[in-house]
Amino acid sequence: MKSRWFWHGVYGFILLALAVSIYAASRTVDYTWRWDRVPDYIVAYEDADLRTTLTGIVEITDGRVQIIGTQDAAAAESFADLDEILVEDGDYVFDGDVIGSRSGWRIGPLAWGLVVTLQLSILALLFSVPIGLLAGLGRVSTNPAARNLAATYVEIIRGTPLLVQIFIFYFFVGTVLSLSRMTAGVAALAVFTGAYIAEIVRAGIESIPKGQMEAARSLGMSYGQAMRHVILPQAMRRTLPPMAGQLINLIKDSSLVSVIAITDLTKAGREVVNSTFSPFEIWFTVAGMYLVLTASLSLVIRRFELRLARADG
Amino acid sequence: MSASVEICNVSKLFGNGVRALDKVSLTVAAGEVVCIVGPSGSGKSTLLRTVNRLETVTDGDVLIDGESIHTASKQLNALRQKAGMVFQQFNLFPHLSVIDNITLAPLKVCAEPVETVRQRAQQLLDRVGLGDRGDSYPAQLSGGQQQRVAIARALAMQPEVMLFDEPTSALDPEMVGGVLDVMKALASDGMTMLVVTHEMGFARAVADRVVFMESGRIEQIAQPEAFFEPANGSRLDTFLGQVLR
Repeated sequence: MKSRWFWHGVYGFILLALAVSIYAASRTVDYTWRWDRVPDYIVAYEDADLRTTLTGIVEITDGRVQIIGTQDAAAAESFADLDEILVEDGDYVFDGDVIGSRSGWRIGPLAWGLVVTLQLSILALLFSVPIGLLAGLGRVSTNPAARNLAATYVEIIRGTPLLVQIFIFYFFVGTVLSLSRMTAGVAALAVFTGAYIAEIVRAGIESIPKGQMEAARSLGMSYGQAMRHVILPQAMRRTLPPMAGQLINLIKDSSLVSVIAITDLTKAGREVVNSTFSPFEIWFTVAGMYLVLTASLSLVIRRFELRLARADG
Repeated sequence: MSASVEICNVSKLFGNGVRALDKVSLTVAAGEVVCIVGPSGSGKSTLLRTVNRLETVTDGDVLIDGESIHTASKQLNALRQKAGMVFQQFNLFPHLSVIDNITLAPLKVCAEPVETVRQRAQQLLDRVGLGDRGDSYPAQLSGGQQQRVAIARALAMQPEVMLFDEPTSALDPEMVGGVLDVMKALASDGMTMLVVTHEMGFARAVADRVVFMESGRIEQIAQPEAFFEPANGSRLDTFLGQVLR
């Protein structure tokens, strides 16, 4: 018991030493740390200017600003709950003029980036699981066409870098099918992850003893019925841990789609660095945000696995 | 209720050139119990597995109730239902409870009503002496109990022939009796049975005929009294000498 606490102490000490040495290292390069600026890029309480999109006359009634278009009389725009009004009744305003401002909580670019990263990952996951399941079933199929197609897919995807695949999806597939950036990015991630899931599914199916399939078939079940009711339920349970690892990989891999100008967490980080010149803080923050995402996911999966294990009896 | 099995000139050549079965012919009448014995590697399990086409044949055919198993590919699943199989390693579905193991195939393959199937499953469980274990999972049962559930599972499809592939070889000695008792009861009910076994006592007591296989051929077929009669120093004698010691 005593010695265990000693080693916990050692662990803490090494972490502390690491932190100190990182700090010391940053002191050797003339760098001003400005952590205080970081939170503004996640969430901030600030005034935001509201601008009109019309050209017209201002009408103010009970603190409510209305712009009546002069070019198109039917067009009107109204602003309510303004904290500050910068125009007067009867003013003539042009498209883009500031009407007033409203203060409130704003989601900063890094938080938006996190949302986009989550969106990308969840969408890609939803598509990659069926792709992977199908390709995995193809891998273990006795039909040569299905087997070879699945093997070719997996080989090509696993044999080329994801970054290159993203470029191909964006510049070639995206152009031919006129896909949006987001669609191209999700498709690239889904197809990439699908290949890895296919291998996980194949390994899961192959880990089930041959006797299970034989028993099911000897009872008169078709191959499909045996797969669905006997093999896959057992295989899925075994593939859960590697599948979860793949999901975490997917979140990290999604950072690569920033190269096709999708403003995910990584791209947002790069943009914020450009405007703040605080690369150290921002990149550490971005890393931390990814870590929060992946760590909470691991926690959820761990819970889920424990529940499955209990259900196993 | 029970059907005949005709194994006609079946040969099986494995990919590596091993001739597992060499022109084997054997006719089992409806209601007959035939035990197949022989040294390991003699092809007895392979022969049994060709009867419901878990093993394909290189040549020849198997007829169950006069219907060809190895040419009719379309109704294969329907034909397989006629032959229930019990494996050495039980092969129960570990993710399903005992009752679900038994009802899965009748529900999915025959689309029978749930109530009928569950009732029949419960009767079968009672019959193999495990009426109170329906909600258990296979891992919670002993080997002997698992094998009895496997027999009930095969019977739930109401087969006309039962195939047993060394059903007691993976069991602890004290578990063997319970499984053999179930098989004996089944035999006396008139089920056609093909049994690959090392249980000479069972073969002697229950079998109508005993088949001795070696090197992919049937070397001898005889009724039990004659089969176990010591004679003339044949290969069968040497084999029996080894297993009956």
